[in-house]
Amino acid sequence: MYVSVNVPGFIKKIVQRILSTWNGVQSFYFYVVSIIKSFKSIRYLRFRSLYSIVVNQTRFTGIDALPLLMIIALMLGGTVIIQAHTNFPKFGIESFIGNLLVIIIARELGPLATAMIVVSRSGSAIAAEIATQTQNREILSLELMGIDTKLYIILPRIIASIIAIFSLIIIFDIVAFFGGYLLSISTVYIPIGVFIQTLLDAFSFNDLFLTILKSLIYGILIPLIACYYGLKPRSNFEIPIYVSQAVVRTLLVIFVINAFISALFYF
Amino acid sequence: MVKLEKNEVRVAVFILFPVLILLVFVVLKLGYSFASSTKDIYLKVDSISSIKNGTQVKVKGYTIGRVVEIIPVYQPALHFLAVMRVENEIAMYEDCTAVIQNQNIIGDTIIELRNPETKQELLKEYAVIEGIEYVNLEALLQDVHVMLATVTSTVGVLRDISLDSRSNIRVLLGNLSRSVETVSTVLNDSQKDIIEIMRSFRKTAKTMDEISTELKRHPLKFLMKGDK
Repeated sequence: MYVSVNVPGFIKKIVQRILSTWNGVQSFYFYVVSIIKSFKSIRYLRFRSLYSIVVNQTRFTGIDALPLLMIIALMLGGTVIIQAHTNFPKFGIESFIGNLLVIIIARELGPLATAMIVVSRSGSAIAAEIATQTQNREILSLELMGIDTKLYIILPRIIASIIAIFSLIIIFDIVAFFGGYLLSISTVYIPIGVFIQTLLDAFSFNDLFLTILKSLIYGILIPLIACYYGLKPRSNFEIPIYVSQAVVRTLLVIFVINAFISALFYF
Repeated sequence: MVKLEKNEVRVAVFILFPVLILLVFVVLKLGYSFASSTKDIYLKVDSISSIKNGTQVKVKGYTIGRVVEIIPVYQPALHFLAVMRVENEIAMYEDCTAVIQNQNIIGDTIIELRNPETKQELLKEYAVIEGIEYVNLEALLQDVHVMLATVTSTVGVLRDISLDSRSNIRVLLGNLSRSVETVSTVLNDSQKDIIEIMRSFRKTAKTMDEISTELKRHPLKFLMKGDK
């Protein structure tokens, strides 16, 4: 027996939204579980085929993103130093610039900006590539050949993404530090040795551990979410919608995780 | 031999470069140094009238290094950084001071490094120490002369103050003894008066006693005595 109740429109929408989010989370959970389960068939995969995908993906996600990443790092490092010179007293700033760069660039902006670059370049590309492959029935063909597509498609991309993000974060930090340094010597002379020593003093093993942890988390999540949305489209028209959703959701997740990690370790 | 494709080489370099930098970072962070038995420390000075390349750096009179380079710095105001190459084995702490001084009256300038009294973290390579300004012998003698003159005038002032105080104390003591004398005179005078008063009281009491005896013996006669 059903009881009909008059529910206002906006409450209905909120409930629908919550239910849809919950269904999405559930679906993502089953997707992750299915990937973990598929690890038992890893022995049937040829190392060479995985290796070539990892190399190509690392090149695309990492090396091809380097020029863009270096320009952004240089600009960010410069911006931080310009703000420091404008808003802080000039006296004694030489001992403070290293700390400032480590706090802002290495701890927060470096991993976050790198993740954003990877999401916008590679996340969208992975989602679009897999969506197109699905529509062209390439994924189906692989499955018909007995290949575990989840492992064959997602695992090498996760490995490549972890490697690329880790290297990109380190390169981003170095470029931002030296960009900041080059800009700072136009107003305050700091010997390069002093600058490097200040950076070394300010950058702790805890920061290093967090950089590795973040690159690991982002490296797993970005291809995972991109592939999840890449496998979703049921027609060619849905491809751009899911690619856009992949980018937006990944960015949201990354920001939330970044805030969570910062709160957990620095608060 | 394994042949690597161009892509693989690029990816390998891309992975190895950050790993190498991380390793260098960890090694440096653990306190190891790639440098030799010497380290470079910067001395920040306003003028280089006394310091030159080769100026000795000493700790308690023992030479531990020398100035190898002087770098002019134009920002924010003109100053100089003297690069001191010193031995690593001598432990120098972070809050050490660098005094630029003459070895003797006609000797060369030396930089004397002085450790703080308490042990602190070791002075790291490329640390910057603020140099305490060089003072020449003539200026020092002039300062000593000025100081002696000031001390002499201070002693004179103190002597005047003590002389004035002495006479004041003498006057004060004189006044005090006079006051004591006055008080004792007053007390002596009062004593005589008191005896007189007591005597008068005694007389009055005697008269009253006589009256009361008479009144007891002849009350009517005593009362009527006045009417007659």
